[in-house]
Amino acid sequence: MSSSPNCWHCGEALQKGVVIHARVAGTTRPMCCQGCRAAAEWIEQLGLSDYYALRTSAAQRPAPDVDPATHDSWERPDNARHVIRDLGDGLRESLLLIEGVRCTACVWLIERSLGAMPGVVSVQVNAIAQRARVIWRESKFSLPQLLQGLARTGYHALPLDARGLDDLRRRESRDALKRLLVAGFGAMQAMMFATVIYLGAAASLDVSTRELMRWLGLLVATPVVFYSARPFFAGAWRSIGTRRIGMDVPVALAIAAVYAASVIEALRGSGEVYFDSISMFVFFLLAGRYLEMRARHRARDLTDALARLTPPFADRKREDGTLQRVGIHELRVGDCVRVSEGDIVPADGVLLTGRCRVDEALLSGESAPVTKRCGELLIAGSVLEDGPVLVRIERTGADTTLAGIAALVGRATAARPQLQRAGEQSVARFVVRVLVLTAVTATAWIVVDPTRAFSAAIAVLVISCPCAFALAVPAALTRALGALARRGVLVVKPDAIQALAECTHAIFDKTGTLTESRLSLADLHTFDGISRHEALRMAATLARESRHPIARAIAAADPGMDDAVVSDVATHSGLGVSARIAGREFRLGRSDFAVAGKPLAHEFEDAVMLADDDGPIAAFRMSERLRPDACAAIDALRAQGVTVLIASGDASSKVASIAARLNVAWRARLLPADKLAWVAELRAGGARVLAVGDGVNDAPFLAGADLGVALAEGAELTQASSDIVLKGARLDSIAYARDIAQRTLAIVRQNQRWALYYNFSAVPLAALGFVPPWLAALGMSLSSLGVILNALRIGRDAALRPAGPASREQVPAEACPRPAA
Amino acid sequence: MNILLLLIPLSLLFLAGAVWVFFWAVNHGQFDDLETPGLLPLDDSDKRETPP
Repeated sequence: MSSSPNCWHCGEALQKGVVIHARVAGTTRPMCCQGCRAAAEWIEQLGLSDYYALRTSAAQRPAPDVDPATHDSWERPDNARHVIRDLGDGLRESLLLIEGVRCTACVWLIERSLGAMPGVVSVQVNAIAQRARVIWRESKFSLPQLLQGLARTGYHALPLDARGLDDLRRRESRDALKRLLVAGFGAMQAMMFATVIYLGAAASLDVSTRELMRWLGLLVATPVVFYSARPFFAGAWRSIGTRRIGMDVPVALAIAAVYAASVIEALRGSGEVYFDSISMFVFFLLAGRYLEMRARHRARDLTDALARLTPPFADRKREDGTLQRVGIHELRVGDCVRVSEGDIVPADGVLLTGRCRVDEALLSGESAPVTKRCGELLIAGSVLEDGPVLVRIERTGADTTLAGIAALVGRATAARPQLQRAGEQSVARFVVRVLVLTAVTATAWIVVDPTRAFSAAIAVLVISCPCAFALAVPAALTRALGALARRGVLVVKPDAIQALAECTHAIFDKTGTLTESRLSLADLHTFDGISRHEALRMAATLARESRHPIARAIAAADPGMDDAVVSDVATHSGLGVSARIAGREFRLGRSDFAVAGKPLAHEFEDAVMLADDDGPIAAFRMSERLRPDACAAIDALRAQGVTVLIASGDASSKVASIAARLNVAWRARLLPADKLAWVAELRAGGARVLAVGDGVNDAPFLAGADLGVALAEGAELTQASSDIVLKGARLDSIAYARDIAQRTLAIVRQNQRWALYYNFSAVPLAALGFVPPWLAALGMSLSSLGVILNALRIGRDAALRPAGPASREQVPAEACPRPAA
Repeated sequence: MNILLLLIPLSLLFLAGAVWVFFWAVNHGQFDDLETPGLLPLDDSDKRETPP
């Protein structure tokens, strides 16, 4: 494959004479550009080179060896400096990835145990992201101490680092899948053998066969208990070791008790065995956790996004003027790096050479490049449009503006109230009550009739198994997620459904969200009697020679491809483009460039001009175009009683005109932190806020809202901090999704009530000893089945309903009706 | 019923085989990404974005 004429990474044809190579999985591969090379090397560095291997079914990836750095090596400044953030005033901040956070009890445990350490100022744990944000006083505490503290609590923590994150995640997901499968197979087999016993009780099954089935049940259930259920035991052991009861304790107790009882019965050769029930129980619990884990992993991580926004390597200039390729974490303040055209600025720094244009869409959300002059600051993550340039590094790693935004996102996410906490707590309370009830039942029966104590206790435990209760939420959620995905609404965080159903305010970003991210041609004025068509055709011919957003808009406005011979094309940075068509020199661009030295009416000075040597030919005006469905989407939301607002970083006049068309309240000139503050202000007033955005500058406010909705075409970081991603930028799906969410919540409540009634009626019977364990197991399965069938209604109902009150109407954006406010 | 003595061990052998095959597949990354491989054949655009 190495002789392939195409780039190994992106598949684009290699340019002649350009030789760039990268080592992927031990083989040298040709690359078309430095960008592809950096990407390939980064993938290689992350250990993800099997991406390539899968495409060729060739090289085998080296086995992942996760060897977490010993705590003390974080003491080395080299390692510590890109995981510790200096907050000033002696305060340090770190984001930790914590393995094994399962439930809100773990969150509580970590917050409590770390918070009690001297020197720790604040601890915030996000269970979904499995992250903890810790702030401590440097004089009293250190990162190694922090890690040791967590290890003592029973959690393995890593200061956040993209490589460690990926390995951890992969190991977790593989282990979970294997455990799930073993439990599933075990449950199937155990159920088969158990059926023989149950049916055999009616028919006359000879004793030896019955005995054989018991032993076979033991054989298949043992791996389920000792392998698949291990996370529950480990979690329970950890909880007990720290004297705090988490969700795993009752689960582990139930598994251990039923298994031990069944083994004893099998050895004694009499009584009932429950290998089938226990395998099913483990399987259901693992299935729920697996789904949850998938959803958690799908929510792409902050660090992933960060790693993609900044390049892994930089070209550092040595004393003698030669270049040296170094990893960006090796960059120090004061280093001088070279950035080539099209490359990403690796760290915040001051421009040392003449001038250049950079795309700072990252910060401003504005797609037009900004011109920077010598001595001005370039921001990490911005793309250099022309180059090469030299940059003196001023801020690196966690201090860069980009990392600052990312930290803002992380903080907003971690501070978000956990909506599903209520649901989990109710399950936990339920389990504790069941355990108490079981104990009471057992004690009572020991007094009355010791021979029946055990079977009655088991019946209580099995019949009230929180399966139906625990399934009530995930079954309905899974169904809702499926229905939404068909409409292009990808829900990344499951608790988004509840937030969506309950939201009262919707805040939209303007640029790229309500309006299309590209400019469009709004107006065209021609001079000297040239037809509009002719002027547009000439302008488009020139515009195709440039990649500038305005040029693209002009080119897009003329659908016809023409075959005019264009020669002497020159792009003038920040001014425009000039070229010779059929022997005539044309210029397209700013008025002072295109019609330089010629008289021009004052009103056209800010327009984009097309001119030749004789004078102006045409003037173009650009505008942002409202998305076709923006009006319908906002009307639909308003019809549901949601207050709609616009938060934009753009100039007031632009925001005002858009807001007037949509008839909504707005705020302009907002920085990312301002948007976040506005969301916080609304939430403080009791509102449930839904935020919709696309750019990186929207990421913090998406993360800080009760519910963040990102457009799929937007920035990665924004998607990472959102709960819902809209495919195809269909804004009208939001109202539809809210509708589905509300139905889902209704079904969930119905399910929970149902499960509760079932348990209320069945548990007393079981406690009184009227229910044999096999009937208890049957009841448990039927109650679970009922819950699942009820959940299936969500998709069906939704399929019959129209998408939303107004979304089907094709309302032209410009002629949007204005409902009375 | 004696046939059970043959069929049951046989089914357990199959079971062990299936588990082994599955573990092999998981360990070799077959389940690490369930979405992207399904999309790869459909992607005929000239330039691919940075892979996940």
